[in-house]
Amino acid sequence: MGAPEKSQANANNSMQRVKVYRLNDDGKWDDQGTGHVSVDYMERSEELGLFVVDEEDNETLLLHRISSDDIYRKQEDTIISWRDPEYSTELALSFQETTGCTYIWDNICNVQRNLHFNTLNNDTFHSVNSELRELPAVELSTLPLILKTVAESGIADQMRLTELIGNDQEFFRKLMDLFRICEDLDNVDGLHMIYKIVKGIILLNSPQIFEKIFGDELIMDIIGALEYDPEVPRVQHHRNFLKEHVVYKEAIPIKDPLVLSKIHQTYRVGYLKDVVLARVLDEGTIANLNSIIHGNNALVVSLLKDDSTFIQELFARLRSPSTSAESKKNLVYFLHEFCSLSKSLQMVQQLRLFRDLMNEGIFDIITDALQSQDKRLVLTGTDILILFLNQDPNLLRSYVVRQEGILLFGLLVKGMITDFEEDMHCQFLEILRSLLDSYTLSGAQRDTIIEIFYEKHLGQLIDVITASCPSESGAQSSDKSEGSGGSIGNENGTKPEILSNICELLCFCVLHHPYRIKCNFLLNNVLDKVLLLTRRRERYLVVAAVRFVRTILSRSDEHLISHIVKNNLLKPIVDAFVSNGNRYNLLNSAVLELFEYIRKENLKLLLKYIVDSFWDQLAKFENLVSIQSLKVKYEQSLENCGTKGTGNVSENRKRIDERALEKEEEDYFNEDSDEEDTASASMSHTQKVQSQPVLSNGVTASCPPLSPRSGGLVDYEDDEDDEDYRPPPRKQPETSEEVEGTMEALRLKRKLASKDNKPEVAKKQRFGKNSRSKDNNVFAALCTTLSQAVLPSKKIASTMHGTPRTTDGNQSSGEENHQEKPATDTSGSDIPTTTDENHKEKEPAASRICSDRLHSNSDSRQLGGEESPLIPSNSSPEMAVNGS
Amino acid sequence: MSDLDRQIEQLKKCEPLKESEVKALCLKAIEILVEESNVQRVDAPVTICGDIHGQFYDMKELFKVGGDCPKTNYLFLGDFVDRGFYSVETFLLLLALKVRYPDRITLIRGNHESRQITQVYGFYDECLRKYGSVNVWRYCTDIFDYLSLSALIENKIFSVHGGLSPAITTLDQIRTIDRKQEVPHDGAMCDLLWSDPEDIVDGWGLSPRGAGFLFGGSVVTSFNHTNNIDYICRAHQLVMEGYKWMFNNQIVTVWSAPNYCYRCGNVAAILELDENLNKQFRVFDAAPQESRGAPAKKPAPDYFL
Repeated sequence: MGAPEKSQANANNSMQRVKVYRLNDDGKWDDQGTGHVSVDYMERSEELGLFVVDEEDNETLLLHRISSDDIYRKQEDTIISWRDPEYSTELALSFQETTGCTYIWDNICNVQRNLHFNTLNNDTFHSVNSELRELPAVELSTLPLILKTVAESGIADQMRLTELIGNDQEFFRKLMDLFRICEDLDNVDGLHMIYKIVKGIILLNSPQIFEKIFGDELIMDIIGALEYDPEVPRVQHHRNFLKEHVVYKEAIPIKDPLVLSKIHQTYRVGYLKDVVLARVLDEGTIANLNSIIHGNNALVVSLLKDDSTFIQELFARLRSPSTSAESKKNLVYFLHEFCSLSKSLQMVQQLRLFRDLMNEGIFDIITDALQSQDKRLVLTGTDILILFLNQDPNLLRSYVVRQEGILLFGLLVKGMITDFEEDMHCQFLEILRSLLDSYTLSGAQRDTIIEIFYEKHLGQLIDVITASCPSESGAQSSDKSEGSGGSIGNENGTKPEILSNICELLCFCVLHHPYRIKCNFLLNNVLDKVLLLTRRRERYLVVAAVRFVRTILSRSDEHLISHIVKNNLLKPIVDAFVSNGNRYNLLNSAVLELFEYIRKENLKLLLKYIVDSFWDQLAKFENLVSIQSLKVKYEQSLENCGTKGTGNVSENRKRIDERALEKEEEDYFNEDSDEEDTASASMSHTQKVQSQPVLSNGVTASCPPLSPRSGGLVDYEDDEDDEDYRPPPRKQPETSEEVEGTMEALRLKRKLASKDNKPEVAKKQRFGKNSRSKDNNVFAALCTTLSQAVLPSKKIASTMHGTPRTTDGNQSSGEENHQEKPATDTSGSDIPTTTDENHKEKEPAASRICSDRLHSNSDSRQLGGEESPLIPSNSSPEMAVNGS
Repeated sequence: MSDLDRQIEQLKKCEPLKESEVKALCLKAIEILVEESNVQRVDAPVTICGDIHGQFYDMKELFKVGGDCPKTNYLFLGDFVDRGFYSVETFLLLLALKVRYPDRITLIRGNHESRQITQVYGFYDECLRKYGSVNVWRYCTDIFDYLSLSALIENKIFSVHGGLSPAITTLDQIRTIDRKQEVPHDGAMCDLLWSDPEDIVDGWGLSPRGAGFLFGGSVVTSFNHTNNIDYICRAHQLVMEGYKWMFNNQIVTVWSAPNYCYRCGNVAAILELDENLNKQFRVFDAAPQESRGAPAKKPAPDYFL
């Protein structure tokens, strides 16, 4: 009876779907079965309990009296667990949906609160409950009584009230009749009371009542009643907005009345949630409204997608030459919403839908859209592509590698370098990045896609740079180049934003396709060309060029480095740095960071090159610690070379080049470790200790060899190179990226280049280890057993472990002591009001890595955007508030 | 009236800009921000503000209490977005003021000025809801990368969103950070935005936030001594009284989001420094309900599905 969950609409059934787990004697979680959970009165008792009924045979899987003791724990948004006194073991419910979990959790908390309340007042549940036997008649005169009943009922009364209202077929009809009368009579008091009653009823948060009041006959009146908020001076005109301003566009006729009704309902419920009641709703209610929207979307999309004639007609119209351009446009917009709403489907279904759409030829449609003159249409096309990439990048990849997909690939590259004037077009960069992401690429497809990109498109992008940069370096300081025309002649109208995007994509490529890029860059002088950006007058483009070189250096690739030295490629950077003078801006910082990197990584060739070639220019910046230390490092390495009797680093290198590979590697590392033993031994020591104090004017307080360094905390490269690096049996995916025949020498050196990959991997593993706190064990165990059945938020959950937290040498505390707020350590606490210590944010810093972004978006949104899936679970949703 | 002035007026009414205006504004902002230092020099008099978190109407209260920009010189310590209902309008107004009066308002980066964090705590969703796509979010987060990391007022007051880093003993070490990046998960830049001072910690401690560190009084003493500064001013933690001194007045937390998340019941504060660096805290309450407009979350006026 009383519990509202029982009568939920079918569409929301998944909210109640749970798996029941029981901890067995071996400490493993036994799966007891899947069913639907509800909170209800225990048989012949006034106590409330949790019931789980098996979804297959309707047997009771679990019957648990809700205890007033603090035994319940909510974890990871989808799990409620407790130590059950009757079963005398740990039990856990794993919910399919976070909203369901939140809902049941709130119910448990309410029941507990009520139990406590009753104990305090020596009052029985029964007597509180029995006060409310029936609803007052709905009349103008009884409005105050109804309001009192709604607004002042305790938790037990609320359940009873919910039940009464839910069962009363006439209540809302009568209330809305009264509302219209009051509105006609301008009875402001009445309207205010009705507002409060309706608001109070919505806050009862009963799916059963929602189903009723959001039906076609009532919803507009309900929204009307909510226009009369006594706390807002002006009456709101929500109905007017919905009736007059909102347009339902029918790009293609939808005949099913159920689908139509749900479409409208979704919009209105969303409006109610986001606009009408935005400040009023609590999180539990928001979650339920979201789940209605989510359920509706899923229903609409699946009914439409299963209607094969509908989809066929949609594509037939899109292809038909007789369809007007205007309605084609609308059809594409429709497709966009369709794809977008399909996020409400289960992953598998969505993937199937997207595959079907692909087979129907959606990418051909987008190819057309991308060739349109209408920029909004083009951008809608890209938005659809992003939805596909979020779901599974391989769908689009498999298309663009095909003959018919080559055009689309080209259009995407072209889009990136096209001036969209005032429109935003950053999606192109995102799409290309996603297509080229080597971490998610696999197999032959990956080779082909990279092949196409480098053969056909990279040059195109580089050409944009060369065409838009002045050929004379002097032009940089010329202010005449202002404006779009480019008075210098070489500077065409390319928007700096485009150049900046290209540069960003190139940096991405350096990290993702190191071998391809190496070959391509060396052959085509790409570095030189990108460095032309240093001549642009926009400082952020100059900085972008510096960052590009810095990214190249992070590969620690000898050939690229010697290419830089041989072609004097740091000259434009040093020039830019020098002409920037004493300005402490981003350019200054970026170049200093570059120098710091060279020094810390001990890239001797570059050290020597920089100091030998540019010291005259750099000397005047010697007051900067980084510049000074660079020189010191240079001198150390000279001394070191002296003791070894090899005067010239690059000569030495050349000589080694002629030998066999193994020999070279050996030498290379001997060289390093020799150096480690001698000159820089003191350096590596100081790294681990606190840096030396430096006066804020930039002068070191102590003598040069102990020069301070920033970033001691992150500087484990040195150590790990020593420990982890062996000329490796490479496992990196780059292995397959063979460069046929062109540069045999490059291949010989490949091993060296992976130098900084491996520590990377080691680091990641370490993060993983640290961040997994003990309290996640239950969750982890559940995850493994649950792999397919329930748990849609699997991906979210796994990203939760990703909080990279290294505790390096500077820390005295133990490494394992990772403190992502453990899931089980709080209970029932609401917003803290006194000590600020409690207000610390519980945000895992690194919830998602960037390349994960596309995926995680769709996931987290799936259940309605309001949840914060990354907040370590605490007892109540309000905990999400406790932070800054 | 220039476009920019008109946009500022519009934003002051809590009406978001068009996508195209956002784009133009962001591109202009980049050119200004790229010229700023990782430790941006700020002259007194200046008014220092802590977290805002998208509480637009409360920020208007702040300007009422502190005076309008450009009449008052402002330093905002980050966390403009997330949590509140109006992250878009809040950040765009501050950014527009920055572009209009670059020397009268300084914006430094908080831990919420990050792609990852905003995807979880509201700004991402808000952009999606208000614009129907996340392009505005993409542009704004690109701007975040350019925001300065800290400020130094008259060489005497170091201001930063979170706190100190074990990797940073001198202000000069902040100089060699290429700040144009997503906030990293560790290292100096991360710590500046994430760390907290903590009474019970001696030296450095692990932060329960999962990023940054806890640092004790001795760390602050030696940092202030080394860098010859009077005190550190930071934000990042809710304090019910709006501001809070710690460690014998060596560090102060300023919090500028009253009734945080519309429910914490705290007051907010800003710190006014006159030309002689005399301090005055101005405490203020949340904007009264009636001064708040209708939520500007209106969904797109047309729909297919």
